[in-house]
Amino acid sequence: MNLIRESLENIKATEELKQNTLQYLREQQQGKHRVRAHFAHAYAMAVIGLLCLAGIGGGFAYSLPVTYISIDVNPSIELSVNRFGRVVSAEAYNDDGDGVIEQVPLRNISYMQAVNRLINDDKYNRYLEQDGVLVFTVISDRAEEILEEITSDELSEKYEALTYTSDLSCREEAHRHEMSFGKYRTYLELLEYDEGVTIEDCHGMTMGELRSRIDACSHAGQTGGKKQHGGGHGSHHGHDN
Amino acid sequence: MKSAEEIQYAMETYADMVRRICFVHLKNRDGTEDVFQNVYMKYMLYEGMFESREHEKAWFARVTINACKDMLRYFSRRKWVSLDVIAEEKEALDDTSAEVLDVVLKLPEKYRNVIYLYYYEGYSAAEIAGILGRKENTVYTWLARAKVLLREKLGGEWA
Repeated sequence: MNLIRESLENIKATEELKQNTLQYLREQQQGKHRVRAHFAHAYAMAVIGLLCLAGIGGGFAYSLPVTYISIDVNPSIELSVNRFGRVVSAEAYNDDGDGVIEQVPLRNISYMQAVNRLINDDKYNRYLEQDGVLVFTVISDRAEEILEEITSDELSEKYEALTYTSDLSCREEAHRHEMSFGKYRTYLELLEYDEGVTIEDCHGMTMGELRSRIDACSHAGQTGGKKQHGGGHGSHHGHDN
Repeated sequence: MKSAEEIQYAMETYADMVRRICFVHLKNRDGTEDVFQNVYMKYMLYEGMFESREHEKAWFARVTINACKDMLRYFSRRKWVSLDVIAEEKEALDDTSAEVLDVVLKLPEKYRNVIYLYYYEGYSAAEIAGILGRKENTVYTWLARAKVLLREKLGGEWA
């Protein structure tokens, strides 16, 4: 046996590494089945849509999300919204978010009712009152319409909410980092100004802190105002302050 | 899609090789799990047929090398801090092994690949050329240059 072979012989995959990988594959398989189920669902919807036209009702499409809304202050919460504008799931992406969704029921109501419930909640409100920056990020075919609805809402106006659009690839990437896509989009924006910032730094920062750093970097780097975002990771829509 | 049994077999058979290729390429253990997930995910979704176990093994080697290169590109974009990969494995390595591997890991990437595939996996230059998508003559050249570098650092008794 040569020395190189002998030396490398000691480098082995641990049982933990193998098991983690197998677990990951199982989860992906289940996810794939879920996606397939969604396709089946969509197909069923098409059929039932026709039946509805014929006067026979059906509600299979109820659970199928077509819009995603990320709401970030420090709590990061994502709402999945079906084609009827109803929230079918609410997921938290940090501890503060967990605390909020445990207390505030957000499912099976319209997304504007959910937004209002959140902003009116005492606990959530405390994050907003502590110089919190409220950011809505939307992924949808009708994102413009939804953002318009959100920005014209009295409470969103009161808290000078910022609004952005994003896309599904950004959402997928965000979830790989266990982050809401709204916060992740902001991280990508900061990364354009400050290459040293890491996703770990970002996990520990509120949206207000992220926004302040972006503003500081953009003011230091340019004499103009905030850089507009386009392309793959989303674009800015609402008012800035 | 591959069955659970096929995946289990591939894990038992190729995991150590995948881990060693990660060791030779990545600057630290971070990323190894991502490479594993990436490689085995590709395997799970692979629709083609392998002509033989050797073909399957070569596929794993090639896909792992490519996944490691992707990971290194990702690290370079994120300004990842490199740690001492030998130090991370110090419990598994005696002094001689640590010294040998330290020299191997300091070789340029293309030489590390051929050295690993040739000396550890026992592939011929023609087979390595197939795995790396290079000409056989290029592999011979890399092997010869790598051997010179190793001899300079380790003396004549390394192989």
